[in-house]
Amino acid sequence: MNNETIKQAPLLEARNLTKVYEDGVKALDNLQLRVHPGEIFAMLGGNGAGKTTTINLFLDFIQPTSGHAFINGIDANADPLEAKKNVAFVSENVQLYPNFTAMQNVDFFVRLGGRHQYKRSDYEAALVRVGLQREAFDKKLKDFSKGMRQKCGIAIAILKDAPAILLDEPTSGLDPKAGKEFTRLVGDLRDEGKAILMSTHDIFRAKEISDHVGILNGGVLVAQKTNAELKGVNLEQLYVEYMAGYMEETLETGPLTNNLT
Amino acid sequence: MLSILVQKELKNILLSPKFFATFLVCSILILISVFIGINEYKNSVVQFETNQLIAQQDVEQASSWMQVRNIAHRKPTPMQIFVSGLHFDVGRLSGISTFNDVKLVRSPYSDETLFAIFRFIDFAFIVQVVLSLFAILFTYDAINGERENGTLKLAFSNPVSRVQYLFAKFTGTWLGLIVPLLIPILIGLLLLILSGVPVTSSDWISIGSLIALSLLYITFFIGIGLFISAITRKSSLSFLLLLVIWISGVLILPRMGVMAAGQLVSIESVAQLEAKQEAFERARWEDYSAEISETWQARNQEMEGMDEDERRAYRDEKEWEWLEVDDAARKRVQSDIIENNRMLMEESQNKKKVQEQLAFNLARISPVSSFRLAAMNLAGTDIDLKRRYEESMRRYKDDFTEFTQKKQAESGNSGGFRIEVDSNEGVKLDFGRNDQTLDTSEMPQYSAPIVQAGTTLGNSILDFGLLIVFIIATFGGSFLAFLRYDMR
Repeated sequence: MNNETIKQAPLLEARNLTKVYEDGVKALDNLQLRVHPGEIFAMLGGNGAGKTTTINLFLDFIQPTSGHAFINGIDANADPLEAKKNVAFVSENVQLYPNFTAMQNVDFFVRLGGRHQYKRSDYEAALVRVGLQREAFDKKLKDFSKGMRQKCGIAIAILKDAPAILLDEPTSGLDPKAGKEFTRLVGDLRDEGKAILMSTHDIFRAKEISDHVGILNGGVLVAQKTNAELKGVNLEQLYVEYMAGYMEETLETGPLTNNLT
Repeated sequence: MLSILVQKELKNILLSPKFFATFLVCSILILISVFIGINEYKNSVVQFETNQLIAQQDVEQASSWMQVRNIAHRKPTPMQIFVSGLHFDVGRLSGISTFNDVKLVRSPYSDETLFAIFRFIDFAFIVQVVLSLFAILFTYDAINGERENGTLKLAFSNPVSRVQYLFAKFTGTWLGLIVPLLIPILIGLLLLILSGVPVTSSDWISIGSLIALSLLYITFFIGIGLFISAITRKSSLSFLLLLVIWISGVLILPRMGVMAAGQLVSIESVAQLEAKQEAFERARWEDYSAEISETWQARNQEMEGMDEDERRAYRDEKEWEWLEVDDAARKRVQSDIIENNRMLMEESQNKKKVQEQLAFNLARISPVSSFRLAAMNLAGTDIDLKRRYEESMRRYKDDFTEFTQKKQAESGNSGGFRIEVDSNEGVKLDFGRNDQTLDTSEMPQYSAPIVQAGTTLGNSILDFGLLIVFIIATFGGSFLAFLRYDMR
C-alpha cells in the first residue's frame, strides 16, 4: 500500500448503506466503508452477514433502503450505467456461456464492458496471465472446471481494466493451488492501483493480502482493522468472537471500527 | 452495445443443439409438406380437369336440353398447398340442374377417409403447432436461465441497460427462430416454381402475407416466453407454465370458443331443417288437397239438378277456367313452399353466421385462433369457401337454366319421356332423342369464384391486428417484469 494512494479519493465507498428486504430482514445496517486505489478491502462474515448484499448494492442489482454506494464518485444506484464502467466483478462461481469457447466468452464480456480495442493476442496474454493453458483457449466452457472458469472470470476483469474490482468469494471452492494463484493475481491487480473489495470466508487469505479487513455480522460492520493492526492479532479468534456475538466485550478492549481512512 | 448483445444471443442460439434440432425438424416438415402439397394439388387439378371433361360429355349425351344436368366442380388453388383449411372437408362438386338446389358434395376426405384420420400437415399447421413449441423452447429460460447460470449477474456488472438487454434477447431469439422457418419455406417456394404450379400475383401476395402472419405469430410466442421467463425465478417453473399456456392456447381455447358458441347459439341441424321443410310441404299439399276437394264439391253443387248432357256441357264450358284456378292454387302452394324453404334456409344461415361469428370471437381469446383464421382467409380455404362456391354455383345454375330453357324452346322438343312396358321386352324408356349430340358450344361454363389478395387481406386484417395487440401486450409485460427483475 502506497501512502500517496491513500490520499486519493476512494474508488469504492459505502455511505450509510442500509438494506432492508421486503420481508423485513435487515441485511445491511448503516455500512460505512472506503476502498482507495491500490487497496484490498476484505469483508469477512458468515452466511447472511451482508457481504453479498454489499456487492449487489454496488452493482445496482438491488436498491438501497437508505444510504449510497459510490463507484469512483458515481452513485451506483442513481447512475448505474456510468458507475459500472468503473468496476469489474468476479463472482463466487463464474458462469459463462457453455456453448462458447473461452476466447468467445472473454470477447463478449470484455466488449460488453466497453473495451473494443483488444485483439486476440491481448485476450491470449490475459488468459496466459491468469494461468489458463493455451490449449483451453478455444475449448467450449462446458468442459471447464470451476478453477478454469474463475480464471476466465478474472481475465475478463483484468481486460475490462476498470479502476475498481468487486470479488464475491472468488476463491470459494478452489483447490489450494488455484486459490494461491488467484490470490497472487489479486495482489498484482492491487499493485497496479486497482481498488478491490472482496467478500470471503477465507480468514487467512484475507489477512495475507488485504490492506483492510472488515467483519460483518447481521448486516453490521462490527470490526475493521488495517493490515498493520492485524499484525500479531489472532484474526481467527477475533472473527470467531465477533461471529459468536461477543462484540460488546471486544469493543471494550479497544476501538475496532473507527479505522475509516 | 445492442449489436454486441444481439450477436451474442444469435451466436448462442446458432451454436445450441436446440437450434440444430429446430432447423432439422422444420426443414424436414416444411419441405415434405410442400412436396406432398404440390403433388396433392397436381392430382386435384388432373381430377378437376377430367371430371369437367366427363361432365361436358354427359351434357352432350343428354337426350334434350330439358334433361341436361351439369356438374360444377370446385377448382383447386395453389394456396391449398400451404393452408389446406377446409379444402379437404368441403365437397368437390355439385349437380347443376333446373330442379335441384346446389349442394357441394363428395369432399376429398369423404372420398378417402383414411387421410381424414391423420390429416395433412400443411405449412400453417407446422407454424401453428411446431414452431410455436420451438419458440417456447427457445425462450422459456431466456431470463431466469441466465440468472440460474450466473451469466445475468456478470452481464449486468457491465454498463448494460435492461431495455437493451431484453430487446437484444428478443432480436437474437427472433432471428434465431426465423432461420429455421424462412430457409425451408424459401426452398419450398423454389420447389413450387420449378414444379410448374401456376401461381398468380395474387397468390404471391397471399403467400407473402402468410409468411408475415407466421412471423407475427412466432413473435407472439417469443414474447410470451420472455414474459413468463421474466416473471419467474426458475426455468423449470417457466417451462411448466409455458407448456400449460401452449396447450391451452393451441389445443383447448380455440375449441372451447367453438363449443361455447354452439351452446349459446343453437341452430338446427340440416336434418332438422329438412324435416321442417318437408313438414311444411306436406301440410301445404294436404291443405291444397282439401282446398281442391272443397272446390270440386262446390263445382259439383253448381251442377246439381243438371242431367248428364248438361253437366258435360257445363264442364266443357268451365274446364279451362277451372284448370286455371286449380293451376293457380297449385302454383301458390309451390310458391309458398319455395318461399318457406328460402325463409327457413335464410333464417338458418343467419343463425349460423351469428354462431360462427360468436365462435370466432370467443376463440380469438387465443392468438392461435387469430393465426388460424387469418391463414385460412389468406389461402381462401376459410369458412366461407363452401358458401362462396355454392353462391357462385347458384348464380351459374340460373344462367345454365336460362340457357337450357332457351335452347329447349328453340329445339321445340317437349323434353318428356315415354315408358313402355312390354311383356316380352320389359320396361323401356324412350326419351325421343335423336342420335346427335347436343351442341354445347354456347353453353355457359362454370368459373370458380376468384378471391383477390386484397379481399383476403381485408378479411384477415382483424386477426393481424389482434396478433399485434397480443405481441404488444406480451412485450410490454416482459419489459415491465424485467425492469423489476431481481438479478440475484
